[in-house]
Amino acid sequence: MSSKYHFVVRRVHSLLGLLPIGIFLAFHLTLNILATNSPERYEKVINTMRETPGIFLVELVIIFLPILFHAAYGLIVVYGGGVNTLRYQYFRNWYYLLQRITGIITLIFVAFHVFTLRVDGATAQATVTALTDFVKTPFGLVFYVVGVLSAIFHFANGLWAFLITWGITIGPRSQKVSTWVCSGVFVILAAVALKTLAQLLA
Amino acid sequence: MSNVIELRIKRQDGPGQPSSWETFKIPYRPKLNVISVLMEIQQNPVNAAGKRTTPVVWECNCLEEVCGACTMNINGQARQACTALIDQLKQPIVLEPLRKFPLVRDLMVDRTVMFDNLKKVRAWIPIDGTYDLGAGPRMAEAKRQWAYELSKCMTCGCCTESCPQFNARSKFMGPAAISQVRLFNAHPTGEMNKHERLEVLLEEGGIADCGNAQNCVRACPKGIPLTTSLADLNREANKFAVDRWLRK
Ligand code: HEM
Ligand code: SF4
Ligand code: SF4
Ligand code: FES
Repeated sequence: MSSKYHFVVRRVHSLLGLLPIGIFLAFHLTLNILATNSPERYEKVINTMRETPGIFLVELVIIFLPILFHAAYGLIVVYGGGVNTLRYQYFRNWYYLLQRITGIITLIFVAFHVFTLRVDGATAQATVTALTDFVKTPFGLVFYVVGVLSAIFHFANGLWAFLITWGITIGPRSQKVSTWVCSGVFVILAAVALKTLAQLLA
Repeated sequence: MSNVIELRIKRQDGPGQPSSWETFKIPYRPKLNVISVLMEIQQNPVNAAGKRTTPVVWECNCLEEVCGACTMNINGQARQACTALIDQLKQPIVLEPLRKFPLVRDLMVDRTVMFDNLKKVRAWIPIDGTYDLGAGPRMAEAKRQWAYELSKCMTCGCCTESCPQFNARSKFMGPAAISQVRLFNAHPTGEMNKHERLEVLLEEGGIADCGNAQNCVRACPKGIPLTTSLADLNREANKFAVDRWLRK
């Protein structure tokens, strides 16, 4: 990446992680739990979305392309980093490493998730059936639990980093408070996601 | 406490040469530090197997943790050998050179890149003119107090050693030089050239390459609030970048 745009590219990478990708993730997980509570309502939301004119373009521009860019550039960032967690065993250093590992897991997970449920899937009902069948296999369940928790960890810890990247949390105290807040975000989203998976299995 | 001090030292005769480990045993005396033990080896370079060897090469100057020259990995982490007290270290004491800089010999490395980065970010205050510029503006006492903490940096490289983003695959300049930007931008005269320093931080290898692992702040022997400097300069760099763009 040319030196002239380096800073902007990095900041765009950071911004996309939260807006729209992170917001989409939170929205997606919330919609899913609503679905398991009331399938009719879910069906209605999905069908309304599918019937919206130009929805493909909207999805492409606000979801697909941002994830593609964030993931591709994320891999470049991972390549430029190092691992020294065994020598410097600080909690933040583990999180630095986890941020990178969960990014890669999320990439694999999202690619599989979209490919199997979107490209192949037809109606909303068929999608849910395909997903339920998959998570009922032991491998499918582990794959989904790990994939979803990775994505959520990556988002929550990314939020913590985002606040520093954008110069919002500056001192050690505010960064500690934001660690707690972001942990809260992780716990809530993880609970929502796991509950949804559990209901699929029921 | 046993009556010998056991050291395992990573030896290497020069760049590109093979490296190997050598063990030394020194008679115990209280209140020694790593430098004084290395001096013992220098006087009598015989390893634990009783074989005569070359004296171990290292660097030191001040012997009071202000120059940074004696920085090396001691039991796996970077710190100053002159303030590493034998009585407080787990034995065998493992000594290795810093890994992030080109090796010169044994425990001696070439930290030039640290100083090059200080030059790159213009970590000084230009006061030369063709005539006497007179006294500069005064600095507020409250500001001076926190800025003083940043001025304690001795360019030792403990922070870069601990930073996962500072490596051969990345151009990242590391937190020490970045923190100096905050110091010189805080100075009332230095502030006049603030834009020049921020411009450098926007380049590749600048502030955007920090990955927030926050090892640096814990590794710094001078207790410099590096992560606060980084976050503060993130804010400044963002404002500066937007402002510069809007004025184009
Ligand atoms: C669910 C999808 C994803 C979300 C919600 C997300 C969100 C975020 C957020 C908010 C950040 C913080 C940005 C900052 O440091 O300011 C971030 C950082 C990062 N993301 Fe993602 N991300 C996602 C997917 C991915 C993928 C697929 C990769 C590819 C490997 C990836 C790699 C990275 C890396 C390496 C960073 C650290 C950047 C740095 O430290 O400079 N992310 N992500
Ligand atoms: S910031 Fe601290 S660790 Fe880094 S070079 Fe300066 S004194 Fe050493
Ligand atoms: S906070 Fe930034 S500069 Fe400090 S160790 Fe982590 S990546 Fe390196
Ligand atoms: S000799 Fe100067 S810091 Fe150790």
